[in-house]
Amino acid sequence: MKPRACVLRTDGTNCDQETAFALELSGARADYLHVNELRSGRKRLLDYQIMVIPGGFSYGDDVLSGKILAVELTSLLREQLQEFVDKGRLLLGICNGFQVLVRTGLLPYSRIGSITTTLMPNDSGRFECRWVSLKVEKSPCVFTESLAGRTVTYQVAHGEGKFFTSQDVLDDLERRGLVVFRYVDAEGRPTQAYPANPNGSLHAVAGICDPSGRIMGLMPHPERFVLPTQHPNWRRGPAAAEGLPIFQDAVNHARQM
Amino acid sequence: MAIQEVRVAVRSSLPDAKGRQTLAEIQRSLHISTVQAVRTAKVFRFEGITVAEAGYLARTLLCEDIFQVYTVNEPIITDTNWLVEVAYRPGVMNPEAGSLIKSARDLGLSHVVAADSSWEYAFYGPEITPDDIDTILRRLLVNATVQHVVREKPETLIITGRSAPTLSIPITGMTDEELMELSKDKLFLNLEEMRLIQDHFRAIGREPTDCEVEILAQTWSEHCVHKTFKAHLTVDGREKRPLLKRLQEATNSINHPLVLSAFVDNSGVLAFYDGWAVCGKVETHNSPSAIEPYGGAATGSGGVFRDVMGTGQGAKVIASTDMFCFAPPDTPLEEIPQGCMHPNYLLRQVVAGVRDYGNRMGIPTNNGSVHFHRDFRAKPTVIVGSYGLLPADRCEKGKPEPGDLVVVIGGRTGRDGIHGATFSSAAMTDRTMDVNAQAVQIGHPIEEKRMSDALLAARDEGLIRAVTDCGAGGFASAVGEMGASTGAVLALDKAPLKYSGLAPWEILLSESQERMVAAVRPSDIDRFREICREHNVEATVLGTFTGDGRFRATYEGAEVMNLSMAFLHGGLPQRRMQAARPSRNPQPELMPDPPADWVKAYKDVMAHLNVCSKEPIVRVYDHGVQGTNALPPLGGVDGSGPNDACVLTPILGKPYGLVIAHGLNPILNRIDPYWGSIWAAAEAVANAVAAGANIDELALIDNFIWPVPDEEMLWALDRAVDACTDFARSLGCPFISGKDSLSSTYRGAGGLTIRIPPVLCVSAFGRIPDVKNTVSADFKKAGSQVLLVGQRDITEMAGSVYWENLGLAGTALPKVDLASFTGTCRALYRAINSGKVLACHDISEGGLAAAIAEMCIGGRCGVAVSVPPDQRPDYFLFNETAGCFIVELAPETAPGDLFGDVPWRVIGSTTADRRVSVSLGEQRFAVLVDELKEAWQRPMKEVFGA
Repeated sequence: MKPRACVLRTDGTNCDQETAFALELSGARADYLHVNELRSGRKRLLDYQIMVIPGGFSYGDDVLSGKILAVELTSLLREQLQEFVDKGRLLLGICNGFQVLVRTGLLPYSRIGSITTTLMPNDSGRFECRWVSLKVEKSPCVFTESLAGRTVTYQVAHGEGKFFTSQDVLDDLERRGLVVFRYVDAEGRPTQAYPANPNGSLHAVAGICDPSGRIMGLMPHPERFVLPTQHPNWRRGPAAAEGLPIFQDAVNHARQM
Repeated sequence: MAIQEVRVAVRSSLPDAKGRQTLAEIQRSLHISTVQAVRTAKVFRFEGITVAEAGYLARTLLCEDIFQVYTVNEPIITDTNWLVEVAYRPGVMNPEAGSLIKSARDLGLSHVVAADSSWEYAFYGPEITPDDIDTILRRLLVNATVQHVVREKPETLIITGRSAPTLSIPITGMTDEELMELSKDKLFLNLEEMRLIQDHFRAIGREPTDCEVEILAQTWSEHCVHKTFKAHLTVDGREKRPLLKRLQEATNSINHPLVLSAFVDNSGVLAFYDGWAVCGKVETHNSPSAIEPYGGAATGSGGVFRDVMGTGQGAKVIASTDMFCFAPPDTPLEEIPQGCMHPNYLLRQVVAGVRDYGNRMGIPTNNGSVHFHRDFRAKPTVIVGSYGLLPADRCEKGKPEPGDLVVVIGGRTGRDGIHGATFSSAAMTDRTMDVNAQAVQIGHPIEEKRMSDALLAARDEGLIRAVTDCGAGGFASAVGEMGASTGAVLALDKAPLKYSGLAPWEILLSESQERMVAAVRPSDIDRFREICREHNVEATVLGTFTGDGRFRATYEGAEVMNLSMAFLHGGLPQRRMQAARPSRNPQPELMPDPPADWVKAYKDVMAHLNVCSKEPIVRVYDHGVQGTNALPPLGGVDGSGPNDACVLTPILGKPYGLVIAHGLNPILNRIDPYWGSIWAAAEAVANAVAAGANIDELALIDNFIWPVPDEEMLWALDRAVDACTDFARSLGCPFISGKDSLSSTYRGAGGLTIRIPPVLCVSAFGRIPDVKNTVSADFKKAGSQVLLVGQRDITEMAGSVYWENLGLAGTALPKVDLASFTGTCRALYRAINSGKVLACHDISEGGLAAAIAEMCIGGRCGVAVSVPPDQRPDYFLFNETAGCFIVELAPETAPGDLFGDVPWRVIGSTTADRRVSVSLGEQRFAVLVDELKEAWQRPMKEVFGA
């Protein structure tokens, strides 16, 4: 049977369709799930093995990016979320979804309501869309089992993506190997230099996971590179769809649940 | 009720990105050096909660203490005397307010009654003067149309007002002077039109209400009724058919098999694949953008998206395009006419408006251009396009039936945007900024996004009989058009309002954004409402489509409007207009010397504003959302090489491509509106063909942005329309949608008159069976053959960037031979489809030299070119004839097999050395591609600081 995945939607969600497509392409059965359907009780999170909070501008990114949705989830859907995580289900936040996950406290320590890291406005002060190179670190993350150690190219498209936290938390994340993606330069080395590091993230962090490896968030968009022709330079040589393994690994993992 | 204030700032130990950005703009755009640092703080205000509750909101919602600090009811920045708070004016909708209230309620504070937010700016520097701050506020931070400086804490955030009663306008007894006084600055109708209204009410024996006068002015405005395009013309003494008729007749005569809907709906529709259709619409928003560029451009995007959403029974918006014309960003301030804004500010704000609306809606903006000419200081040209995907069996324009409900969905109605339609039809004057301020608003893309989500869900359940957007003219226009053949009655007091105090005529005419009107069967209304509720969208039954042919409205039971649809839509007689060719003194043909310094001449062409890279603009648009890009706006090794068109795969997983391209050249239109317009259309099609499109599967959209049509400008317009119809018939590409905006003349005090260069923007879109058979513009490898394909006469240099750099004008502009161009397009399509073409780029501004430089920049390689001995080398390099192409072929490919008798010539080969080397007979010169790239990227980097 196909694992069931849901793509969370609300006002201003906008990467939902390509995310659902990536999940389906990887062998999942993907549903759209509006946050109102969870609030009204008409649908249940636990019916799904995978939840993705996709990119977009939830509630216009008012106050801070992802903040209004994070407050809604932690105030009104806390028990469902906690149960989903406690049962070892998979949770992925992409771009705006990553912003939501850090603002719920689910990343990096899986503690709802405890915010320990943040995504600040880009150092450049503006929204930017460009392709970047990323090193996939060895980590407990289940979404990157097959990509770990490789360098991949994804698109970023955000204005608030600078990963920032205290020195203690940063040291702890590094020690426990919870950094999953880093922005790298043409030689494959982590970099603070713009534009290879598009936002000024500390330690060039582009994505992190929780200690279980079952919750991951990242600013770049793997769902925008699940077909070879989505790469801007596919005509310059054969390109593998480097975003697809993220979703395939998730689906494979969910099959064993 | 008390207001609680929470202020939030980034910790002073961390970079404040907004403050830095503001500082950079102060230094770069305003050249003020006394300001050494800027800090910012956000101010949140809540009404109806306690101090303790404000503290709770600060901790849980407003501030993240990892990087921010906050205060409650106290200042947060206290270490400078230069502290200014900038907020939206009361009554201008702040999109953030709704989110603040929602989140406060989610957090248990259901008693919050109002909220608002604004920004504080703190300036640091010992030498700052009050004049500096005044300049910064006036020219950078405060657009007085929508914003103001907050000097004291407001007493309430709730906007109230008493609704003015419906007035009777004593028009039947007015003199001509009184009629024109009534029209001035408000109705924008001429005396003849005012008299028609007077005669109508004399005939029916009563005075009109303000609602009736206003709706007539709106419906009869140039913006809505296109009086000029429908007028009976006499051109140089010869009778000619109306412009719009000629465009439609050309389309009908082509009888294109892919066209599903042309000129009747909110956008034009083409068949796509597998039961799907694609639609396209291109709009202008010049007048609002001239006085409030951010909001004007944003709501322009929002409006054209709704046009696509309101096509057939509803379409999904899949692409956005933007084409702008401004005066050069370095135009001296004293040359800007009174009442107009500086182009540097306009350009940055317009880009920001398009960025925020498209990005937040999740619509990729992936095709566009920016053009510069000094005379656009009179009024900018802001063109925004939108494309959609919809089921072919729901693509026909819907017709309401008597008994269907008039349902308004989306945002609430406010006083904003009143008189937009009539204002857009008027010329700019030195009074425009003051008198018409309320015609502009900022947009709320999230409102539109959720409305789009709800609309598509309702469409898929078959709940929508007809739908249209509330654009210019608001309910009056939307319901008036939908119900033109049935009639309609509205209860205006049912409309959900942003705040109390709107008069009935204001509700009727308000152009508040993010609203649409649907015709829904009574049996479907419950389900329709349920879908809207699930998507947080308000849906309200405002009235009924009737069968009586009248447009009626009531307010609290009393009738405030009762007009016959026949008079409303048919009462305005066809205009008769005269056009005359202006007399021009013949000018001697010019013969400048070839350049002494070739490298400098080349770099100057690359750095010209109409050639230079627009990458800093493209980067702030999310061009990848929806995951559909198969040919993005920028590509090549380091992502800085421009492509000619964009190609999308709107159905993920299928190879089907939608190609989108455009062309315009206002400078050529001034020299000759016929050949300038042919150039624009050829450029649009050439851009699509360069990517791999087939002209048999393309359709066109026209946008005329013209000075006020006096005899001379009408003559130019007539010539431009002739060019469009000749082009369409010759290539077999029909125009299926279009728009005109004929008010781009500035009339200032003291008789100053400035006309913009006439703009015809042609957009081309169509389908491609498999995106694998498309090419990009970047050179792929060293050692390839480089070909010039297409016919041109290189002595036709008038209007070129090269000549403009030499200070030359001239009259001999490029004249694209349509028969030859058609053959070139067909040959190139076959060549690309065969897989033998490695790269292709069309020639436009900057000529062949700019095209090969861009291909080298994309390919990180070089090229060696030989100018044929029989051709003048500078003209060979810099001629701008549209419809010619640079093509890269592998060394083993025989060009003759691909191009046959189409004009083609091998001009050189690609090299690994990253130089452009040109041999000019005896002479030769070479320049590093990186030097050309630096010159080409510099102008927009200076404007945008990227």
